[in-house]
This record gives sequence, structure tokens and C-alpha cells, in this order.
Amino acid sequence: MPAAGGQVSDGPRASRVVGTVLRCYPARWRRRHGEEAAELAALLIRDGTPAGSIAWSYLAGAAREWLTPRPVRRLSTVACALLVAACSLGVSAGLLASAAPARAASTSQARGHTPGRAHCRPGSPEPVPGVTPAVSRPQVIIWEAGHGRSC
Amino acid sequence: MTVSGRDGKAGQDVLRRVGEASVLILISLADGPKHGYALIQDIKELAGVELGPGTLYGALDRLERLGLIDALPADDRRHPYRITAPGAAALRVHLDSLERVSAAGRLRLRLGGI
Repeated sequence: MPAAGGQVSDGPRASRVVGTVLRCYPARWRRRHGEEAAELAALLIRDGTPAGSIAWSYLAGAAREWLTPRPVRRLSTVACALLVAACSLGVSAGLLASAAPARAASTSQARGHTPGRAHCRPGSPEPVPGVTPAVSRPQVIIWEAGHGRSC
Repeated sequence: MTVSGRDGKAGQDVLRRVGEASVLILISLADGPKHGYALIQDIKELAGVELGPGTLYGALDRLERLGLIDALPADDRRHPYRITAPGAAALRVHLDSLERVSAAGRLRLRLGGI
């Protein structure tokens, strides 16, 4: 590999070994340091540093690079976690909000409860006094006395 | 990051956990910008430590992330690095801390008569 300061004395084999090891780094690292790292290796080999020790150093560096969490990755993980938490909170709040009128309806109907009669009649046009019908809200399953009924 | 103190009391020693290679790089950059090869040569002369290139780039990335050094525009394919103001302050704090520990160690050796 031609170096800035001259030819590499250890030949192309050393450059190939170092080049192979440099491919172990993440692409982001290679874009940033790849060319410079190859040139640095060539200069060090020219100065008499064994190619094996350079390759080993780069290999250890590549392992560290993969294993060390990046701040951006950490930030995005935190952002994702916050987003998921916010979404689940929103869904829970929505479910609670839609469950409350349905529960109220169930309670008010239970006052005039007739055994064997369904509390909820899907599609029933009868308005329940004091309860706003949950139009376009998620379907809620009310469990009562061990039987699930869909309203 | 609080590295503004010159005496090491006001500032926190942020270099305590970054490793010897990072401290040596900061010391080497203290007298002017250098690229990777020049850093390795300088550190070899300065401290007798032969820094591996993998260690060098790892330390450079870490120092850059901490804002202690800056990469200058590439000169040919080489990126020179320079120490930043927070980097210089952190180095001062760290060297002061090392000096205090060194002085205490020497004093204890004298007191112990060794």
C-alpha cells in the first residue's frame, strides 16, 4: 500500500491483513477513520512495527467499537422507551375513559336488573339516562358474574 | 462538565476514568494539533508508551465525544486533532490531582524512612 511517507517495507501481505481487520469495524467508523487508519498502519509497518501487533490492536479496537454503546444509540433507546411509555399511557387513559361510561351504564341498568336479561345489547337504540353513548370508541368488554358481554 | 477550576477543587477530574491513553493524547495535543501518526511518535518519546493504533482511535473518539478535543479539517487523508478549552481545563485539573497524589506519596515514603 503506498503510504504518504514512502513504500511499505512489509509488503502487500501485511496491508491485506490490516485491511481485513479494518473491515471488522462498523461502517460509520470506517467512513470516518478507514483511510487514515490504513495509512497509519502502513507508516507504522514502515517504521518496523510488526504487522501482527498492528492488526491485533485494530482487532481489539473493533471489538471495543462494537461493544461500546454509542450515546446516539442510548439517546434513541431512551426516546423509543419514552414514546412507548407515552403511547401505552395514552391507550390506557383512552380505555379507562371509554370504560367509565360503559361501567356507569352497566350500573344504572343493574338497578332495574331482570335476571337472565342481557345488560348490553349491541346496536340497541335505547339511550340510557345520564349516559352519553360511546360512539366511535373502542369496544369494551364488561365482565360481570363471570360472563363476558361485548357492548 | 465542570472542568473550569485550575486548582482541581472547583472542577471535577473528568479524566480520572478515561484511561491513560486519553490522558497521554491530551498531553501530546497540549502544545499544538497533531494527527494520528504524530501522536503515536510524540507519546513514544514523551512517555515511552507505544500506543497501538486501535487504542489511539478509540481514545480519540472518546475524547471527541466528551468535547475535550476537536477534529480539524482533513489534511490529505489525515485528520489533525486539537485540544479544546474544556480539554485543557480537564487536563490541568487531572495533572494537579496527580501532583497532589505524587507529593503525598513522596512525603509518606520520607516519613516511612524507606
